[in-house]
Amino acid sequence: MAQELTTTLSKYLAVFAQAHQEFRVPELESVAQLYNFKIHLSDDLEERDPGRPYMIIWLESEDHARLLARRCILIKSIYEFYGRGTTYEELHLQNRAKRNLWERYIPETSFKFFVTAYNHKIPQHRQREVVESFSYMSFMGKIDMKNPDITLGCFEEYETGSGKTRERHEGDGNFIQVYFGRLIEEGTARPLVQLFDVKKRSYFGNTSMEAEISLLMANQTLACPGKLIYDPFMGTGSMAYPVAYFGAQVMGSDIDGRQMRGKQTTPGIFRAASQYGVASRIIDICTFDVTNNPWRRGELFDAIVTDPPYGVRAGAKRLGRKKELDADRLALYHEHRTNPRPHDSPYIPPTKPYELSDLAVDLVLLARYLLKPGGRLVFFLPTVTDQYEEVDIYTMLCDGMEVIANSLQDFGSWGRRLVTIRKVTSERYPPPDFSTRNAEVEDETQHVPAHRHFREKYFQGFKKAEVEADHIEDGR
Amino acid sequence: MVRLITHNLLACHVKGCTSNNFPLQLQNVQIELRDADFNADFLKTFLPKLEWKALVESAKELGDTSLPIEQPEMLDDDFLKNLHHVLLEIHIEEGYMICPNCKHSYPISNGIPNMLLAEHEIG
Repeated sequence: MAQELTTTLSKYLAVFAQAHQEFRVPELESVAQLYNFKIHLSDDLEERDPGRPYMIIWLESEDHARLLARRCILIKSIYEFYGRGTTYEELHLQNRAKRNLWERYIPETSFKFFVTAYNHKIPQHRQREVVESFSYMSFMGKIDMKNPDITLGCFEEYETGSGKTRERHEGDGNFIQVYFGRLIEEGTARPLVQLFDVKKRSYFGNTSMEAEISLLMANQTLACPGKLIYDPFMGTGSMAYPVAYFGAQVMGSDIDGRQMRGKQTTPGIFRAASQYGVASRIIDICTFDVTNNPWRRGELFDAIVTDPPYGVRAGAKRLGRKKELDADRLALYHEHRTNPRPHDSPYIPPTKPYELSDLAVDLVLLARYLLKPGGRLVFFLPTVTDQYEEVDIYTMLCDGMEVIANSLQDFGSWGRRLVTIRKVTSERYPPPDFSTRNAEVEDETQHVPAHRHFREKYFQGFKKAEVEADHIEDGR
Repeated sequence: MVRLITHNLLACHVKGCTSNNFPLQLQNVQIELRDADFNADFLKTFLPKLEWKALVESAKELGDTSLPIEQPEMLDDDFLKNLHHVLLEIHIEEGYMICPNCKHSYPISNGIPNMLLAEHEIG
């Protein structure tokens, strides 16, 4: 680590929820950028392994640690770091050296002390031994388990025990690492996962995004008061609620108004938004096809956040027909449009499928047009695990747009990637033309991204066509 | 609940309708007033994105004459309060938005505008 960092930044111990590992570092970095403070993580890959629940982070001040605890969905709690080791001897050595950090709590501060472990349960008698081994700190204040002035935590980290049966307390003391510090703040963003639980929401659909992911996405958008954020595939509004909860104002659109309305008179999205107290921040929801959109100008939004439909539960649609009408039927159509029958309204235009790889390319172009300079596009891209290559993401990029995070949520044979793209240009670009790209005439040598024809691949169970063909030939 | 901020950002997008397609004229509208969070910084940064004349006219059509015809250079508190009210607190619940050029009518129902185009109107 660079010398200057160790002198200006201090170490904090963050305890993370063991979920959505690949989202951890992007979330930390986004929240630090949102509040405009410095954060440094270890350069050692093992140290920043998101599979481990404990991570040391470097920050300028305790206030910044508090901001992280209040905004990061994956942080369970955050501690001022006193020491660590592969043995208690090492830990105590470090802790004694950090006396200047805890000296002021010696005289009369009431405290609570706890010892816990990850992937293990420490027997009572050893917990007592551990607590006693810290007696050299000689705190004079009273022990208060309910309302202490400070809480000191000691964490032992064990290898995962999955796949093996173990005796009770077997392997006790064989931890990989032990950490010690003073609690700064319990994470208060994590309980939002319960608050936004889809099952408790007054309006949702079969495509609604789970609460935890939608909150992580909201953090990637840097949502805060004064920002305007757009969802072009709004559906039942899953992205809008957490973004609005963090103070941003939201606009949304969808080709299918029924998804946004539901069946009652008050549209479903407004009902759910009212439940979270954010109805006034849902600026408007409009029915239109984003490939034929009515936006008068670009550079309107601070972020675009969306979960585009990818064809498993709902396919993406755009206006148009799969097959063009022949001359007779076209004439009939025009006749019908000029003299509609009285019960025809409201008119519902025909739609055709919107191929996912086309949609992804268009979405990035649209974002470049509609985002303010520095704005972010945050969206999910489903992909086939075996076929995914880093270059897939770059097949949809254009000048002026840069990938800043790409986190996988793994479902086995497929997964979806939360992609965060930043508009790095302040140049003005025209709106995209959304022309239909023809997959058939494509150059053979061009890279085909794994998300192309995702729907078909999904329903075929992600079998590899070539492999299957080989297999059959071998059988003969 | 089409608000005037949204109305100010929407233009007719029928194929070939590219001039005199903004602002959409409001017809047979029912409005409701609802409070919104006041954020001066948001208003100041958003101001350059607005078509001022269209905003003043549309507000007037809805009976609000609190905005000056020319956009002021000094953004004082009174002005920002009025702008906030016009942009974010007037909600059009029902009615139509009509293109001044091609006369396409975009209906608003339960506060949601339907901006879908028919088959012959798309490019």
